[in-house]
Amino acid sequence: MRDLARDAKRLVGRLGSAEDEVRADGGEPVDTQGSGPIAALKRNLANQQFRESMPFWLPAFLLMALFVYGAIIWNFMLSLTDPVGLGSPDYSDLDFDMYVQAFTSDSFVNATVNTFVLLVAFTLVSLVLGLVVAILVDRNIRFENTFRTIYLLPMSLSFVVTAQFWLWMYNFDNGVVNLFLDVLPFVDKVRWFSNPELALPAVIFALIWQFSGYTMVVYLAGLRAIPTEHYEAARVDGASTFKMYWRVIVPQLKGSTISATVVLMVFALKAFDFLYALRGTYLPYKGTDILATLMMREAFSNGHFAYAAAIGIMLFVLALGVVAPYLTYQYRSGQL
Amino acid sequence: MAELTLDNVSKVFVEDDGNHIVAVDDVSVDIRDGEFLVLVGPSGCGKSTTLRMIAGLETITDGEIRLGGEVMNDKEPKERDIAMVFQSYALYPHMTVRENMAFGLEESTSMGDDEIDERVSSAASMMGIEELLGRKPRELSGGQQQRVALGRAIVRDPAVFLMDEPLSNLDAKLRSKMRTELQRIQEDLGVTTVYVTHDQTEAMTMSDRIAVLDDGRLQQAGTPLECYHEPSNEFVAGFIGDPSMNFFDVEVQGNQLRAADFTYPVSDETLQEIGDRTNLRLGIRPEDVTLSTDGATGEHDFETVVDVVEPMGDENNVYLTFDTGGEPDEDDETFVVTVGGMQQVEAGQPVTAHIPEEAVHLFDESSGEAVKNRSLEQVETLGKHV
Repeated sequence: MRDLARDAKRLVGRLGSAEDEVRADGGEPVDTQGSGPIAALKRNLANQQFRESMPFWLPAFLLMALFVYGAIIWNFMLSLTDPVGLGSPDYSDLDFDMYVQAFTSDSFVNATVNTFVLLVAFTLVSLVLGLVVAILVDRNIRFENTFRTIYLLPMSLSFVVTAQFWLWMYNFDNGVVNLFLDVLPFVDKVRWFSNPELALPAVIFALIWQFSGYTMVVYLAGLRAIPTEHYEAARVDGASTFKMYWRVIVPQLKGSTISATVVLMVFALKAFDFLYALRGTYLPYKGTDILATLMMREAFSNGHFAYAAAIGIMLFVLALGVVAPYLTYQYRSGQL
Repeated sequence: MAELTLDNVSKVFVEDDGNHIVAVDDVSVDIRDGEFLVLVGPSGCGKSTTLRMIAGLETITDGEIRLGGEVMNDKEPKERDIAMVFQSYALYPHMTVRENMAFGLEESTSMGDDEIDERVSSAASMMGIEELLGRKPRELSGGQQQRVALGRAIVRDPAVFLMDEPLSNLDAKLRSKMRTELQRIQEDLGVTTVYVTHDQTEAMTMSDRIAVLDDGRLQQAGTPLECYHEPSNEFVAGFIGDPSMNFFDVEVQGNQLRAADFTYPVSDETLQEIGDRTNLRLGIRPEDVTLSTDGATGEHDFETVVDVVEPMGDENNVYLTFDTGGEPDEDDETFVVTVGGMQQVEAGQPVTAHIPEEAVHLFDESSGEAVKNRSLEQVETLGKHV
């Protein structure tokens, strides 16, 4: 959906610039008086290209406006109402009570902390792991394509499948993880999901397993774009293999890092599917409650729609906080 | 500073399907301390591979590379005391010019920051790039990037400079300017330099000695004038010089060399050098042929017709066909002659071409080895042709 929004925005931008070109040619006299959106719309409507292209972009534009941005605005309005149980919300009395309630609630603070831990740990470890694997795969190893496919495969599975898969992996009696621990001396079997301190790390590990392959592919593409001469120049300059990567190659992967980070963070915020599929209820294992699960629970188990809407808006702001710097970066470097 | 020795060096690449490709075949060259050696040859002749073996970027299949008497074969690039300039410059895009130049010193020496700074500054002033030190490579023009790449090599103060076609990405004007500058810097620093190029003009103008490679084999190593006037075989004769030497298949008949379109009488000394060979290739440089309109008078004068004229301003490249009496047609073999720019000739015009025997080269037809070259003493007596 976000992609669609971007496409629509790009389309509008392109139309604007096309119009500029027409005007630069002096082809059509248009009213250049006045500014602001209304005046801009008037100018656009006077443009023949703009009018003629409308059937192509207008339907999608209106659908997006209604169901994405309209829904967001509606959700925001809902978050400003007071709880009314199952009745219809009263839109005449709007305030920020629900936000105040959230910030003073232990479960909200706890879910926020978990969300951030998940976001940061999952993203960082996935990036580092993906980078290391990408570098190893890039060093002209045998069966490179096979390895690449194997690492990328988990990414193609749905969260429901990987959740079931990891439930078995972490099974106390005969899960592979515990069987492995059992072999090691001085280590006992662990109840991964029922221990609140281990549940979140276990979930993060499973998510890393699923997504580090994606990071690897992004980094691999970045590595392939670096000319061989840079490696050779660094070697002739006397750099060790580690220094060569650390000082010459990795800094050139900034673009790959940024785009992989954004995708990983957005996935981390959407980890709801995985947690829901693990337990099959809106109440995830203790210690793994994140904003998304809290929001669903408040809305559909407890019927606190206004409160859930407030959480949703905060989650939205978080996601925006992740994506906005990326979009700005892309816009600045002229890719948007 | 040190001398660099390539001793029977070979490089064989083994492809995935087991094919062996000999890229460099038994090359031996001694490069003296402070010498500027140019490795020249057509694409795929193994010149870059040779350079990369010296740099340590390729392993050596056979033979030895010694720097200052020390065997380099198994040493890492960083242990070799070399600096390399790449064709694409290979500047690190995320570092400023200063950081690019300092990188090698930081990684390969234990110098303090102050000393590194000082050396970067002095190398930068030598290359005239002081005001660029704070910029990133992408903010520089091609010529400036080229200077930074050279500066990055100079700052290392290595025993050997290795340069892989460093000027080929520049436009013609800048290239000839950098050619002179590079030569001046190399002379000032006195650092042994191995320079790879496919451009024979660069080879002729910059080098102390040229090493001509073809198909992985060393064809000749000598001064530019030796390679030009005394090529050891037909390949070198054809490769060095622009426009290149004219070649004719000739058969020895008595004291005459009989070609398809003409018969060339030779002296007894030449016959002696030919010995009992019967099939030869006759070579003559375009500038050694003189044109006149007086008609054939001597035995080395031939009636020809001008086919095409390429005016270069300072000189004209004139393509001639032998006047065999019949109608001129497309398939007639042409040969090229350069005459002064003031000498106007027109297509279709009949002219007399004088091919002096002193300037004629003869090569064995099958091996390509030189049978007879014009000597350098002859060049001096024929001064006006040079």
